[in-house]
Amino acid sequence: MKKLLRNRELSALLAIVALFAVLVALNHSYFSLQTLSMIFTSAQILILLAVGATMVMLTRNIDVSVGSTVGLCAIAVGVALNSGYGLPAAMLFALLIGAIAGFFNGVLVVWLRIPAIVATLGTLGLYRGGMLLWTGGKWIEGLPASLKALSEPVAIGVSPLGFLVLIVVAIAAWMLARTAFGRDFYAVGDNLAAARQLGVAVNRTRLLAFTFNGMLAAIAGIIFASQIGFVPNQTGSGLEMKAIAACVLGGISLLGGTGTVIGAFLGAFFLTQIDTVLVLFKLPAWWNDFIAGLVLLGVLVLDGRLRQALARHQRAQKYSRFVPPLPGAKNVRQFPRKKKDVA
Amino acid sequence: MPNTTAMLEAHHISKQFSGVSVLKAIDFALYAGQVHALLGGNGAGKSTLMKIFAGVETADSGELKVHGKAFGRLKPGQAHELGIYLVPQEPMLFPNLTVRENILFRLPRQSDIEKRLQEKMRQLECQIPLGATASTLEVADQQMVEILRGLMREAKILILDEPTASLTPGETERLFRQIRALQNLGVGIVFISHKLPEIRQIASHISVMRDGAVVLQGETAQLLDEQLINAMTPLDRKHTLSDTQKLWLALPGNRRTQPQDFPVLRVEELTGEGFIDLSFELYAGEIVGLAGLVGSGRTELAETLYGLRPVRGGRIYLENREISGDRTKSRLDRGLIYLPEDRQVSGLFLDAPIRWNTVALNEASVWQQSKREAAVVERYHRALGIKLNNAEQTVRTLSGGNQQKVLLARCLEANPLLLIIDEPTRGVDVAARADIYQLIKSVAAQNVAVLMISSDLDEFSGLADRVLVMHQGAMNGELRKPSITVESMMSMAFGGGKA
Repeated sequence: MKKLLRNRELSALLAIVALFAVLVALNHSYFSLQTLSMIFTSAQILILLAVGATMVMLTRNIDVSVGSTVGLCAIAVGVALNSGYGLPAAMLFALLIGAIAGFFNGVLVVWLRIPAIVATLGTLGLYRGGMLLWTGGKWIEGLPASLKALSEPVAIGVSPLGFLVLIVVAIAAWMLARTAFGRDFYAVGDNLAAARQLGVAVNRTRLLAFTFNGMLAAIAGIIFASQIGFVPNQTGSGLEMKAIAACVLGGISLLGGTGTVIGAFLGAFFLTQIDTVLVLFKLPAWWNDFIAGLVLLGVLVLDGRLRQALARHQRAQKYSRFVPPLPGAKNVRQFPRKKKDVA
Repeated sequence: MPNTTAMLEAHHISKQFSGVSVLKAIDFALYAGQVHALLGGNGAGKSTLMKIFAGVETADSGELKVHGKAFGRLKPGQAHELGIYLVPQEPMLFPNLTVRENILFRLPRQSDIEKRLQEKMRQLECQIPLGATASTLEVADQQMVEILRGLMREAKILILDEPTASLTPGETERLFRQIRALQNLGVGIVFISHKLPEIRQIASHISVMRDGAVVLQGETAQLLDEQLINAMTPLDRKHTLSDTQKLWLALPGNRRTQPQDFPVLRVEELTGEGFIDLSFELYAGEIVGLAGLVGSGRTELAETLYGLRPVRGGRIYLENREISGDRTKSRLDRGLIYLPEDRQVSGLFLDAPIRWNTVALNEASVWQQSKREAAVVERYHRALGIKLNNAEQTVRTLSGGNQQKVLLARCLEANPLLLIIDEPTRGVDVAARADIYQLIKSVAAQNVAVLMISSDLDEFSGLADRVLVMHQGAMNGELRKPSITVESMMSMAFGGGKA
């Protein structure tokens, strides 16, 4: 119970397992690795964005422009391929665009000191507008088969891009959890003044967080183009909020300084799983957002209750020595009891 | 002097904040193995100077030499590489990281680092759980973590900005042992404190700052206490309140009062979080000290009286009416006012104007009345000598002592019948301290009961009519006026009898 609370990742994992169990209970034929890899395939984009959002949120910032960055980068890879460049060059081009977009967000927030939410709200429109201007509002179609091949399964139902996502998650998780460089991200979000005073390059760290976020959005854009095979002009819109929701589900605090990449990964996976389960149950599509929102709120309320219960319990233990001298006397007030198993 | 080049040399350092010069051509030198004490009133510029040394702030003009090398713009990272470490006045921890991570933050990984940390903690006899997150620590423990952080860095120049403000005498003594050990290793230490006896004990040199300039400098043995206090005190201020100040301080005449020696507060067998079975009475017009070690339940008691923590048993009576179950708001309305320990976290609205902060407990109508409120601020500005430009200034821009005065002003403005003040002089300079003592006396003289919590036991002997001493959550006894001595309070705080 305590372990569960200290470990938000574990509770997200349990939620995933529980939802999978519900799915299997209702239809045994879904009990397969294939179902999992199918969910993973549709979760890839959100996972990347959630990992990016983790870095930004750890430094106590927020980026709501990633949806547009995804669209811009998907367009970039499409335009480059259709004008005859090779696949590696096109992907590098998209990565560069993503890095620039993220860096620009960082510049606005760090150097020009615009609050992150306002700055990225501005670039949300700016990047979307830039994308429309670039293509003249037209969709990009007829992408080469070489790009689409990247999202064909190669092993255990996972595509090359799927493996790339896993590698990126692993690297990001290792970097943030194990290296001194990663620790700086936590420090900056936790107490900026203290981090500065202890010699952390706070501006560089925050700029890098935004830039990494942009690059991850670029990879997400490439995956989008590869999976769908064309790039509509509303590509990626609304993804930014989903990414933030996934992070919150996975235990990353909006106030900075806490959370892990694994949590974000699981949160993104869980959000996509809800959508997929609804599709498998053949519920009309308009239920999706409603139910996803409901589940999100449910998880957060439950989590909050559990946390309160734990805090009460800890408090009672801390002061357990101080019991009134006459137990059972009329004027004795009962300490609020810890609710057992709110779940 | 064993080494003739200074480790740290400041020459004509000046600094302005929004047009106000806070440092005026400061000259300062620190040599290896020196403990250089820096004294001065709140807002004298000590902390700013230290921040410049640590690279957190940049001087507008002047020259800073470290190990004989000049630095125009010192960055925090550079300062670290040069071995300068600043233990700031207000603990700067990462609340979400564990204590261990906080202490070892950014230290190179070494195999014996854990052992060294354990050893340092043993030498300081501190028992902070290393695995706990920093946000769960109390102020004194946070300060200890900061000090440990400084000691673990093996700094060549260690700056301690009021390290002893919330330490107990025992902890202070152990810290001094560490400082002396570092001194023998040739570390240069700048030591800021408001406590003269401490400085006499540890420092070899003293500099006194006033209004952004160094006004007195010399070896400790050559300087008299009198000289130091005179140098610190602005020329136009005395240690007693003038008659006009007292007049400004008069509380409103229409407030509810009780005659002297009326039992304002009666506590019967009160048990709560952190204390057990307390019974005592407080009378109108007396100042009662509440002494005890950190963790003895003093602050918890105050918070329970104010209604921030639940009562687990027993009763509280305010003016003979039971308030054990009342909410904080109704306790406030009945004249029970609490001045919290940590002014930064639970006291002030740092980004709000002084005006708001002063009237926060006592807003006369639904609408804001800026003129009336500005007049209130002006009254306290004169009465307490708060250094401010205007009432709309945000509280964050004030220095620590002035912030404390704003907080006091708020409590007085709320028409107290019982005033509970928790560590009112923490981080406040000698001159402002004297002001605050006078203020407390004048408040008590107007038939307000005052319950004062302090770790600085010296304060009580001159101020309190009675002192209640707590030990591990229980009342260990009471001392009355002539017999209030630091020795007997200490021995009772450690669980012994009257000395």
